[in-house]
Amino acid sequence: MFRIIKKSLKTGIVTGRHPAAGPTTQPVSPEAIEKAKPFRKSLTIREVDTGSCNACEMEMNALANSVYDVERFGIHVAASPRHADALVVTGPVTVNMARPLRDVYKATPGPKVVIALGDCAITCGMFAGSYAVTGPVDRHIPVDLRIPGCPPRPAEILNAINELRQDKPTRCEP
Amino acid sequence: MPRAMTPVERVTEAFGAAIAEVSAVQGTPMLRVEKEHVPVVAHYVHTHPELRGTLSLLWAMDHRPREARSELYYLFTLRERREWLLLRTELRGEDRLFRSITPHIHAAKWYEREIRDLFGLIPQGHPDLRRLVRHEHWPKGTHPLKKEFSWNTVLQRQQGEYRFRHIEGEGVFEVPVGPIHAGIIEPGHFRFSVAGEPIMQLELRHFWKHRGVEKLFEQQNLATAVPLAERVSGDTTIGHSLAYCQAVEALLGLEVPRRARYLRSLFLELERLHNHLGDVGAICNDTAYVLAHAHCGRMKERIMQLSDRLTGSRFLRGANQVGGVAVDLTGAQLAEVVTELDAIEPDFSELERILFANASLTDRLETTGVLKERTAWDHAVMGVVGKATGIDRDLRRDRPFAAYDELQVKVSVYRYGDVRARMRVRMDEIHESMRLIRDVRERIPQGPITAEPSGVPVAGDSRCEILRSCSGPRFSGRYWGTSSRTSR
Ligand code: SF4
Repeated sequence: MFRIIKKSLKTGIVTGRHPAAGPTTQPVSPEAIEKAKPFRKSLTIREVDTGSCNACEMEMNALANSVYDVERFGIHVAASPRHADALVVTGPVTVNMARPLRDVYKATPGPKVVIALGDCAITCGMFAGSYAVTGPVDRHIPVDLRIPGCPPRPAEILNAINELRQDKPTRCEP
Repeated sequence: MPRAMTPVERVTEAFGAAIAEVSAVQGTPMLRVEKEHVPVVAHYVHTHPELRGTLSLLWAMDHRPREARSELYYLFTLRERREWLLLRTELRGEDRLFRSITPHIHAAKWYEREIRDLFGLIPQGHPDLRRLVRHEHWPKGTHPLKKEFSWNTVLQRQQGEYRFRHIEGEGVFEVPVGPIHAGIIEPGHFRFSVAGEPIMQLELRHFWKHRGVEKLFEQQNLATAVPLAERVSGDTTIGHSLAYCQAVEALLGLEVPRRARYLRSLFLELERLHNHLGDVGAICNDTAYVLAHAHCGRMKERIMQLSDRLTGSRFLRGANQVGGVAVDLTGAQLAEVVTELDAIEPDFSELERILFANASLTDRLETTGVLKERTAWDHAVMGVVGKATGIDRDLRRDRPFAAYDELQVKVSVYRYGDVRARMRVRMDEIHESMRLIRDVRERIPQGPITAEPSGVPVAGDSRCEILRSCSGPRFSGRYWGTSSRTSR
């Protein structure tokens, strides 16, 4: 027990120890901000992978570590779309995932926002045109926020989501 | 003492007439076997006490339109000497049938189903011919890797249903999970048939994310497909791109300079570090020990930020290129890497001590999820899971690539095959990777980081074939390349 406490004390607070993100490249539309109004204090996200290479997911996962610690902004990740306010979709939508994606969208209670994360979700990236890919996310469900990058860095994701919720930008210390 | 027989001699002696041709692909012996004899020869290689080969890879090739034939390749890794042995068989003309080896070799099960889906070749005698990659809504007769299938075909939908196997009986429940399930994780559909605690049967439905990467590779130039290789699997960016680059270099006859080889090893070990740190954390998290997860996540993040500073990508994207590496590191950067590792290693060791002093955690890891060596061998298990069951294999040591011929890799092997053993392997590899990186810094030579492109495939035969492998943290990748002067 003593050892554990000692380690925690020695480690100190690591939250915010990451390089600052560059400015968001894709402006957040006023409609999206309006739509995200109910979620300013708390936002529950369901992540849906429709064919990504997993790097985008890893960055989503990184958001939950103690360096980025999204919970301090009231952002949680839910295990079921039925508990979610927002869907974060990564990857080009594959032929096999097109239907599950639509089902998940239907299963998510309104009001809801959809965030397309990564170049694949926005344009299909390198996989555009493949027989196994049906198209970007907005071919299937309406998208409110696009976060480009391959993959976008966690700080960039956080900034974009906070901009959507009109929250202050992430604290950043050296 | 008589000279020991080589594996090839053994097989040719036992099967004489069935072996149509003996050749070699860049040092790997290759036997062409008549189609009807493949199952017996494969069975022999798999079970003979001197060979005990595990099926490392099974793949097919469609040679049309150039030649009217298809080929199947079976790559075995032999037990003792860890050599490779390649079996090859031909289906001539419009022949679509081959004999399944799955009844003897479990590891072939999914490969053969996949070949059936992608190439339309039918493994006769396969116990389970349900569709694997092609979900039921794919139209009948769609086989994307056949040459006449165009890469950008728009698929129509048809009706259909996957036939799950069911177990019925008193107190038996079926629990369906997915495809979209649990935390931030990729899709997969699982059906557990349970009677109380014990799981009686698990039915899997995968390939939700099939993106047609193989076909996309066919559309690319040799040198420009590296970004695609990097995106096969995000967490194994270097693993895939390195295997791919090595294959292309062998095809083009490029000699990679030593400095580039050292840098490749360094990048690969960095990638291994962030994956293993993440995995150790994830194991702890799944046993509800969130504290360790938080510590591991923090250390992993440091490695990712370090990678970002070195290459401009947290996943080391763009670091590899055909002929060498695209990013050189200065002496100061190498020193920075080592300083960072010097800070993380004691931090991690301290965490290890905390973990193994925690009885409620170790209780959940020991004897959990035991994989017996025999089962692992049967299914040709590799990598961390293999090492945790006593399968002493590591491509870095057994078939050195990058700079591993000069860096000595210590492979850690455990016997118990439980979750604890798998965690131990990862922990040992974390220390080993750090040691290797320090070693790289000590020994790295000066010099160029890319080879001079020669631009021509290996002289002589206008057609050449190569096989290159590379072992990443989560996979052991093999790229089979074939090229002809006229093709891309
Ligand atoms: S955008 Fe890039 S990182 Fe994200 S899934 Fe696509 S290829 Fe992977």
